[in-house]
Parts: sequence; C-alpha cells; structure tokens
Amino acid sequence: MTFVVPIGPQHPALKEPEYFRFEVKGEEIVDFDVRLGYVHRGIERALQERSYLHNIYLSERICGICNVAHTTAYCQTIEQLAGIEVPDRARFIRTILCELERIHSHMLWAGIAAHEIGFDTLFMLFWRDRELVLDLKEMISGNRQTSASNTLGGVRRDVKPEYVPKILRTLEKLEKATEQYINICTSDRTILARCAGIGVLPKDDAKKLCAVGPTTRASGVDIDIRRDDPYDAYGQISFDVITEPDGDVLAKVIVRLREILESIHITRQAVKALPKGPLRAKITPKIEPNEAIGRVEAPRGELLYYAISNGTDKPERVRVRTPTYANIPSFKPMFVGGTVAEIPIVLASIDPCFACTDRVALVDSHTGKTRVLSFKELRRWKG
Amino acid sequence: MMKANEVAEVIKEYVDEIKIENVRRVFATTDEERCRAAMLALKQRDVQHLSTISGVDRGDAITVVYHLDCRPALLSLKLNLPKSTPKVQTITDIFPGAILYERDLMEMLGVKVEGHPDPRRLFLADDWPAGVYPLRKEAKK
Amino acid sequence: MMEVVNFILGSLVFPGLLFASLIGLLYIGIDRKVTAHMQHRIGPPIWQEFLDVGKLLSKEDITPAAAQSPVFTAAPLVALGAVVTVMLLLPINSAQPALTLVADLIVIIYLLNIPAICMMLGGYSSGSPFGAAGAGRYVVQLFSYEFIFILAIIAAVVRVGSLGLPTIVGYQAQQGWLVLDWRLLPAVIAALIAAQGKLLRVPFDIPEAHTEIVAGPLTEYSGPRLAIWRLAYDVETIVVAGFLAALFFGGPTAYLIGNIQIPGVVDFLIKTLAIVLLTTTLRNIMARLRIDQALKFFWTYVALLAIISLVLVLVVP
Repeated sequence: MTFVVPIGPQHPALKEPEYFRFEVKGEEIVDFDVRLGYVHRGIERALQERSYLHNIYLSERICGICNVAHTTAYCQTIEQLAGIEVPDRARFIRTILCELERIHSHMLWAGIAAHEIGFDTLFMLFWRDRELVLDLKEMISGNRQTSASNTLGGVRRDVKPEYVPKILRTLEKLEKATEQYINICTSDRTILARCAGIGVLPKDDAKKLCAVGPTTRASGVDIDIRRDDPYDAYGQISFDVITEPDGDVLAKVIVRLREILESIHITRQAVKALPKGPLRAKITPKIEPNEAIGRVEAPRGELLYYAISNGTDKPERVRVRTPTYANIPSFKPMFVGGTVAEIPIVLASIDPCFACTDRVALVDSHTGKTRVLSFKELRRWKG
Repeated sequence: MMKANEVAEVIKEYVDEIKIENVRRVFATTDEERCRAAMLALKQRDVQHLSTISGVDRGDAITVVYHLDCRPALLSLKLNLPKSTPKVQTITDIFPGAILYERDLMEMLGVKVEGHPDPRRLFLADDWPAGVYPLRKEAKK
Repeated sequence: MMEVVNFILGSLVFPGLLFASLIGLLYIGIDRKVTAHMQHRIGPPIWQEFLDVGKLLSKEDITPAAAQSPVFTAAPLVALGAVVTVMLLLPINSAQPALTLVADLIVIIYLLNIPAICMMLGGYSSGSPFGAAGAGRYVVQLFSYEFIFILAIIAAVVRVGSLGLPTIVGYQAQQGWLVLDWRLLPAVIAALIAAQGKLLRVPFDIPEAHTEIVAGPLTEYSGPRLAIWRLAYDVETIVVAGFLAALFFGGPTAYLIGNIQIPGVVDFLIKTLAIVLLTTTLRNIMARLRIDQALKFFWTYVALLAIISLVLVLVVP
C-alpha cells in the first residue's frame, strides 16, 4: 500500500511555495509529482511590453538571490542586439559582482542544506560568514542583495581603488573559513551519514535530462558557461571548472564549497587586474531588428536569455530560461528509490529557485490552482 | 565539441539559411520535414544538451527556436510555422530534457507538439480558458 | 490530615508542578541561550521559555476537525502528569524523595515512557500525515533507546543491589559516585546517549524533524495544548537529567561551606544543569540522523556499551 506525503505549497523545508507530491511505501519513495506555478508573475510577457531600460529592473527581480546573473545576462543580450562593446573596466566589475554573488549564493545554500539535515550550528556559521560577502556587495553596489549595478552598456557604480584592500582582506578571511567548512563537510560523521550516497543523479541522466550548473557538475559532467562561452572578463582570467564524480548530495555540497574557493580566486584576479577606463558605453533607446542570445553561469547553472528586437524601444520577445527550470526533470532519478527522510536535503540539493522557474508569462496576476505535472514519462529514462 | 563552422557543416543539408555570427553563435532556419533529421545528425556528433526551446509570435507566423548547445557553439535552429495550425513533432525521444520546454510551448503559444508523452498544462491554472495563449500577440493585456 | 496537606503541597508546589515547571522552563531558557552563543547568535533572554509558554496559554484553543477526539486533548495532560509524578519520586533535597515506594526505579522507568506514548497517541489522533509519520518514527526510536536505557539502569541496580533510588543515593554517599566506578562508566555513557534520544535532541530529534515532517506528532497542536506539551517536555528534560544525576552522579548532597548549610536541592540543580548542558553541547555539534541510522547506532554501539558494563558488574567483583 502506498500513501501520499505532501510537501508544500507551504512547508518548512521549502523557502518558496511549490507543491511536491511523494507516493511512499513505508519510508521508501515510489513516485514523485510536482505542481508548478505558485509564483507566476508573467514576467516574459511583461518584458516585451516595457522599454529596454525598464527591463533591466524587471529582469533583476526575476530572482532575488541571483539578480546580478539575471541583469548581466539581460544586458549582455541587449548589448549584442545593439552591437555595442562594453568598456573593459565595466566587464571586470561585472565579473567581480557575479563572483561575489556566487559566493553569497553558495553560502546561503550551504546554510540551508545544513538546516535541512538538522545541523543548525553549521547553518548559523555559514550565514555568519555570508555576511562578509554581503558587506562587500554593499560597499561596491550600495545594496546588500539586489545590486542594481548593471546597466545597458556597462555598470553604474565603480569599484574605487580604496575598496581593493578591504575586498582582498575579506576574501582572505572567507578563504580560510571555506577551507574549514570543506574539512568539516568531508569529515563529520553525521553529515556523511546524511549526505553520502543519497539523491544520486547518474552522469547519463544528468546529460540526457539537460541538467545544468553545480547539479550536473557534481555528477561529473564538465560544463561551465564561464569557460565554454566566456562572457565579461572570464576569457582573461584563469580558473578551474569544479567537478565531482559521485552525483550524490555530498558531491553537490563539495562542488559548491570548492566553487566558493574558485570564485575567491577569480575575484582576486579581477580586482588586481582591474583596467582603467570608462564605466559605460552609450546605447540608443531604439534597436534595429536583430536577434541575440546571452548566456551566463548563474550560481545555479546556465542562465539563457534570447532576445529579438524590432526597431522600436521595446523588445519583440525576450525568452528567459532559468537554471532551476532546466534542473527540475533531474528530480525524478534523484528521488525514486530514496526515503522520506531524504526529501528535504535532496530537494535542496539542486538549490531550487522557484521564483525563477515560475517566471513564465501569465497575462493577469492569476495564481491559485495549477495542474499536477506528471513525471511518469521521465521514469522511462531512469537508468 | 564543435565550433560554429563545424556545426554549419553538419547541418547544411538540412537547413535553408545559416547565419554564423561568431564562433559561438549560429542561427539557422529549417522546415518541419528536415528538422528532426538535423537534430539526429547533431546527436550523432555527441550534442546532448538542449539549452531550451523558445517560441516567438512574429505576427503572421509562429517561430519555434531550438537552442542546442554544441559547445562552444550555440546553435539556434528556427522553424517557422503557420499561425493558423502551428504544429511540430516532439523531440523528447532525441532530447529527453525537452519535456518541460515542449509543454511550455504548447500552453504559452498554442503550438501543437505531436507525439508528446504528456501534453498537459505545465504552468497555467486548471481554469485557464482553452484556446487562450498568453504569449500570443492577440492575448489581452 | 498533615499527610494529605503534605502530599498536595508536594505534588503542586515543591518538588511538584510549580517547582518542576519553573526549573524546567528556566533550564530550557538557558539551553536556548547557550545554543545561541554556540551558534554565534545573541539569542533570546533566558526567561524566553516563560514568555513563549505564557503566550501559547493565552492563545485561542483550536482543534482541527480531523483531530476531534478526547485522546488528542488528553495526551499532553497525561504526559505532564506523568513527568510531574516522576519529580515526586526523585531525590531532590535529600536521599528521601517526596513519595517513597518500594522498587521505585521500575515505576520511574514506566512513567518516563508515558510522554513518549502520549506523543505517539497525539500524533496518530491528530489526523495529519505528518503526525502519523512522526508517531511512526517515534515508535521506532522508542524501541531503539529504551532497551539501552533500561540495561544501563540494571547495571547500576546490580552494582548496588537495590531497586530503590533512595538506597542507591545512600550507597553513593558512602561509596562514592557510581560514575567513578570503571565498570559502570560504559553504562553511564550509554545512558547519557539514550537520554539524548529520549529528549528528542539532535542527532535524535527524528520524530519531530522540523524540515522533514513539520513538527511530527505536534504538527496539529496549537495554543494551550501546545503550551502543555512544551511544559511537559521542559519538565521531562529536568526529570531525566535529575534521574541520571541521582542514579550515577551521587544525587543531591548537602554541603557545609564555612558555617553555612547548603541544602541538597542546590546540588540537585547544579548536577541537572550540568547534564542538560551536556545534551545541549551534543545537539549543537551534530546533524540529525535518519531513523534507520539511529536504530542501527543504538543497537550496535550503544547497546554494546551497556552490555559490556552489565557483564563487568556481574563478573568482576
């Protein structure tokens, strides 16, 4: 006999409303369904009804955590549409902001993951150190979270020379802390008991289901937009793409923590190599018919913007494909066969951002009931 | 692992026009008959990652764009469909990851995806009126 | 007449309901403050638990439609009653408890299980899948720690040769604390770990794992009934700590410092606080286990400790 364990739309393990339905036999999960659409805001449609400049602020609000990634991808796409070159200094500043955001996002995630397995002390410590990054973001952009720093053709605020020593000092502190966290997460018995060997996403499934970001890198798939499709200053900076072969939750933890170290490394290079020059290039409000794609490695994976212009000051169409949307099909192989106690940590392990996923257009603000999305068909590809 | 010119080489017999913007961006237009063949040819060359599927209402036609990551080149394969009866063949058998994108396409632009294993709504509510597609130009504000 | 008054005073004021509640709430407040400092937070004031329970008591009393049963209401009250009764059986001011029974250890073991059973009943009767899941996990957890807890107690009983807690405390006053006996040390460690499971503290907070099953059996409780549950839990904490203190750590001892007579109750408070803080430390340095892992852990390592101790006590003179 199976019974249904509902997770959501409101549940302590979920930080955003979304509904998951688990069919369980005893403690074992035998089937999995998800309902999407609880945070629909109709942003894709809204993007084509507003001007290019206005859209920066709209795209920034698609996701609270990876807002810099969204504006970077958006601005990049529109700059390609208009065919303008971003000044070097602006490209480096964007890189710095993107990497600081990655550090803060990964730390936020690591804290939540610790909380999901009941390790509240680690949760608090992660979030304490995350404050260091938020202080840096506030110093550079004036805001802790939503940086509002990117604009079409460049950035709005400079990284002043007097900021540099403070940034380097904080990065040093963070690096030490992160190394210690990696040490804790690979040696603590209770963490290993809860994370090792569970929620495994096999490499084949990760590839087939087109997963992105740390989720797929933890399954040994070597993709990273920063290296494969370099944007901003990433082409001029040396860094490694972190992969782990195991595909379990522990691998996802380690990949993200090691990515923090790599981000610190990138930020350091970018701050030291910051070129002189203007902060932004001029852009005309109207853009000739054209099409362009911008891709950014957001903290959660590949973020894709596809824009078409039609000669007016509003885009014909802007398509946004967020990383969590791409990762949702991967839930199926990760859950089925696991136990109920694993649900929160496995759910958290892809670092889901439902506000991002549900951005797809709705014309009015209608929310409420949505249909169950069945993943039966996906079981066919489960190895 | 293909650069833009290699991608163009692979798909040239299946497409009408190819625009190579730079080494990492290729745009191509194809038609319904040759679309699957082009994808199978790419799959042969170890292209596994479908970045997404975009649907665009161009006023008189609906364009479906498949964004295929050939690493480092990103191929955008376009398919122009008549607005009266837009339909495409499913590609979930070639790229299983397309499953949600195709459902998204169906409900947002009313493109019929033939052979889709689960053609139900994805984001829209149950009581959303049938035949109203929010991303079409004529949809009310 | 005097006896009845004494009994009523004993059960309602000292060491019964009032004293137990005050100390329980205070100790959990201290536990929360210490936890906060361990986690680099400032944390709530130490009287926060009083405010929380007071607030809950003043809230509207809501029973979900699916949980309309006497069991749902009775569960927290019975649990509180059971732990307060244990307070009467514990040596608090001197070796002599408020209520003397023959073989009181067995009564205490039974009474200490009642909160757990009430919580299961409350969970099953709440009509929520989380309540049922939590209750199911609690059953498994009970079977994990209870046997070990009893084994550890038996080791002490065999060592002293009595089933009466006052006798055990009296024995320790003359022969030294049982924890200092190397044969009983493994049993003490096993009992402390079992207490961690009994008190549902990390890594054994599995039945009410907040991120997995909301609050387990307590999910549907709110208002005054939740307040009674909180109170029962807080009293249970000091009862378990006090029981272990009496069994292994010498129980309440009166001291003479200078010319001032320090009553045994001070010693009781210090020892229980030390044990509570030990469980606080443990719960802050670990992640929660899965129920199957907890079961395995108890029945292998911890059971082994308790059994070794029992064998040593029986074999080594």
